[in-house]
Amino acid sequence: MTALLQQISRAVRARWLYHLGGAASRSMTLSMRRIYIVPTRAGLQCTLLLLVMLLGSLNYNLALGYALTFLLGACVLADMVATARNLAGLQLAPMQTPPVFAGETASFRIELTAARARQHYAIWLGFQADDAPMQHCDVGTPADGAAPAGTLPGSAAMQGSSADHTGVLLHAATGTRGWQQAGRIRLVTRFPLGLFRAWSYWQPALQVLVYPAPEPAAPPLPGGASGANHGHSQTGSEHYTGVRAYRPGDSPRHLAWRQIARHADTPGLPLLAKQFEGGNASQLAFDLAALPPHLTLELKLSRLCAWVLAAESAALPYSLRLDELHLPAAHGPAQQAACLQALALYGRDSGTALERSA
Amino acid sequence: MNRLLQRLAREQSDTLLLLLAALAVLAPHTGHLPWWISLTIAATLGWRALITARGWRMPPIWLLLPVAIGAMAGVHAEFHTWVGRDTGVAMLTLLLGFKMLEMRARRDVMVVLFLCYFVLLSNFFYSQSMLMALHTVLALALLLTAQLSFQYGAYQPPLLQRLKQVLRLLAAGMPMALLLFVAFPRIHGPLWGLPGDAFAGSSGLAASMSPGSISQLARSDALAFRVRFQGAHPAPAQLYWRSIVLGDYDGQSWTRVTPRRGLQRPDIDIATRGEPLAYELTMEVQHNRFLPALELSGPQLQLNGYLVRDTDEMEFVTTITPDERLRYSTKAWLDYRLQTVASGGTLQGWLALPEGYNPRTLALAARLSAAAASTPQRVERLLQFLRTGGYTYTLEPPLLGRHAVDEFLFDSKAGFCEHFAGAFVFALRAMGVPARVVTGYQGGELNPVDGVLSVRQSDAHAWAEYWQAGWGWRRVDPTAAVAPQRLQPQADSRASSNANTPLLQALSSEAASLFGAVRFRLAAINNHWQQWVLDYSPERQQALLDSARQRVPAPATVWPIAAGALGLAVLLCGLAWLQRQRRRDPLQQLYTRFCRLQARHGFVRAPHEGPQDYAQRLRARPASAAQQAAMQEFLMLYSRLRYSADGPESRTASLAMLRKLLLLCR
Repeated sequence: MTALLQQISRAVRARWLYHLGGAASRSMTLSMRRIYIVPTRAGLQCTLLLLVMLLGSLNYNLALGYALTFLLGACVLADMVATARNLAGLQLAPMQTPPVFAGETASFRIELTAARARQHYAIWLGFQADDAPMQHCDVGTPADGAAPAGTLPGSAAMQGSSADHTGVLLHAATGTRGWQQAGRIRLVTRFPLGLFRAWSYWQPALQVLVYPAPEPAAPPLPGGASGANHGHSQTGSEHYTGVRAYRPGDSPRHLAWRQIARHADTPGLPLLAKQFEGGNASQLAFDLAALPPHLTLELKLSRLCAWVLAAESAALPYSLRLDELHLPAAHGPAQQAACLQALALYGRDSGTALERSA
Repeated sequence: MNRLLQRLAREQSDTLLLLLAALAVLAPHTGHLPWWISLTIAATLGWRALITARGWRMPPIWLLLPVAIGAMAGVHAEFHTWVGRDTGVAMLTLLLGFKMLEMRARRDVMVVLFLCYFVLLSNFFYSQSMLMALHTVLALALLLTAQLSFQYGAYQPPLLQRLKQVLRLLAAGMPMALLLFVAFPRIHGPLWGLPGDAFAGSSGLAASMSPGSISQLARSDALAFRVRFQGAHPAPAQLYWRSIVLGDYDGQSWTRVTPRRGLQRPDIDIATRGEPLAYELTMEVQHNRFLPALELSGPQLQLNGYLVRDTDEMEFVTTITPDERLRYSTKAWLDYRLQTVASGGTLQGWLALPEGYNPRTLALAARLSAAAASTPQRVERLLQFLRTGGYTYTLEPPLLGRHAVDEFLFDSKAGFCEHFAGAFVFALRAMGVPARVVTGYQGGELNPVDGVLSVRQSDAHAWAEYWQAGWGWRRVDPTAAVAPQRLQPQADSRASSNANTPLLQALSSEAASLFGAVRFRLAAINNHWQQWVLDYSPERQQALLDSARQRVPAPATVWPIAAGALGLAVLLCGLAWLQRQRRRDPLQQLYTRFCRLQARHGFVRAPHEGPQDYAQRLRARPASAAQQAAMQEFLMLYSRLRYSADGPESRTASLAMLRKLLLLCR
């Protein structure tokens, strides 16, 4: 019975008090209307203190006692306004979040900007769902500000934050593959005097692509569709054809160390990588349908994921076929991203999410 | 300071700042706390500072608790009580000191801060001067800065900037604090019984007079009361502030005549001549039920919150002992006749003398009265005797034995006003003249800056009153006969005593006048502080609010007008808004509607985004081909209408087209 009442009260609070459940927003500026405020425990104690001070002044007829009590009381009220204003005018924007594998921790990045060129100190952020781990940041403070007074642990301000906007990484556990929506974010502040706690909610239009978890002990890479029959080993048939500029995603094993050493005194020359031209036989063709049928779909996807990673680290071109979707053979970061995304969204309502993320 | 703080780690510098603020709060208390308490607190603060700066360990609770309990026991041994103001302050300051050594978590910091705020308030028990007010504001700013410093996250701005933030808070709170100070309802008196030491250290005239009692008081430079006259000031020699009338003498001291129960009060007739002098008197806290009033003040004396009785001897007595500063207004007549008709029975009491005291004085009285028949002659003879007898006026009279009056009149011949007045009344009574001693104050120092007369305890005085048929009670000041300078404020004994040579005298008088000017100015400021800040009583509050109400029309007429004005303002604002809506460009209106529509699909136009960029971005919106085409067409048409100079006739058609396109977009 009480559980039900609690549930109802939580629902009513969420719906009518906090107006939660609205659409996710790309960017939002916190207005006073969205900010809630209550006194903290210290604030309640302070109220008690003010009452005692007033009684003392009354009893002993201390004119300056009245003055001090009223001045302190007025400061407390000014603190209330200042606490709410510390949140108001904050502009929040979601940033791109790099994809992660299922089970890993996603790092949602959001950016806070001071809309009115004001300073906002000690803003605590966290997902509403998990109460305890919160991070704090300052907005609008000097960029090199962390230096003089030392940094407290738990600061979430990231490298690359500048004077007017601050990036914050919020971490959340991921579950299954597919698009995962970031939870509702709660922003809290007690600044300046710690007597009031102001907070606000924001549902960011922020999602992370969760790849399938790579199968831990995946079987070795299969041969290509034809290659497996010809019995070529995976790497043996590649012919060294020369060097080219190193591209991100090239395997470190293919760095052309000899050539790099030779040109070491030439400034501005990029790193060099060996270029191979493999025969058809080394082309890896991953096909969902070709996997043993007794495996579950998720396990199949996990295995394909592991293979994509293995092929990528071996710098072998690979193709992927998922039913009617076919990604032709290639390798490099773009191919890996396309394949993993296809694996992540296989069988999921992907279209709109893809477009939204674009 | 700032640089020093910056070198330390954040928590360290914050704690040191808090220690500094606590030191500022506690410093004024060292003036009245027992030395060992001040020392203990200084030790705890110093220890805490070392812990913070050197990174020492905090003292364990088993070490701290016995010391704290020992200190509390010491407080009890010092004050012999657990309750009371001084005990409470001592405990509180010690508690603050020990809490500093037990401050571990953020929660403890708040407790320390709140203790500091309260200790700051307790400073006002001992002083409410302007200097103390200034000190309090500074200490408050420091405390708030310390509190603020603990709230920062990763980045903490330098100390000066934090101080500025606190000053902004204070400035924001100041108007409200001022309003509360003026308008918060004040009440009279304490809410519960005050401990005995609540207003220690102030005393006034006692209801009895023995040799040495007034001269003791006269050493005190403390303010007794202030007076503001409505019109002209009376001459200094006329300023006799009547307080207590003494009629019973037991050979040692003079006491008030206790009214006999059941006796009908005689009618006291008073005749006055001339215009009355209206004045307002503010009496300092004195624990005295007798209110001083200029001779001779009218029978009506109103004092809010107290019941004031006037006695047959023209004293004003409150029924309960006041614990606060009192302010009252009344009128005085300098030319008066008091009780011109009196029955023998009522006069008999003013002739009583104790048996077996002062035989030499009795003999003198017999000799003088034999030579003079009428009452004025006898008084004059007695004054003549004092004037020519080689008497001196001194603050350090010698001790007197059993026959005090005899020894004063014939042996020591040196005394203070109570000796002269007491001996004079004794001798008059011995001559058969009804007489009594009046104590009060004489004179006062006029401040030329604000016209306020300050009367100090050193102005305490005693004089005599005798009754003469047809004249009533007449004042006679035997001290003035011996030491006329007593009535002239210019002949200040303090200034003339150490100025022996003419040159030095000239210098000192010049210096004195310069010094005096500054002193008077300071005194005038101080008086305003007293009257308007410290003595902001319920009456003063009422008067201020009444005068404010008189300046603006009565509320009954104001409220409808104010409400009407407010309503009108709201109406006008609404109309202006509607007008602006209507006058807005129809093209702009259509565009706004379009943007709102797209926003509903999740494509909010950024403020910097032009129609063409927007169109580019909208291509990504999932929509049917017809909708997509309508959107693109709409934006193209819009940007052409907005940014190229088309004629008005084509414009109306285009607007209709836009409307159609907008419908298609849905």
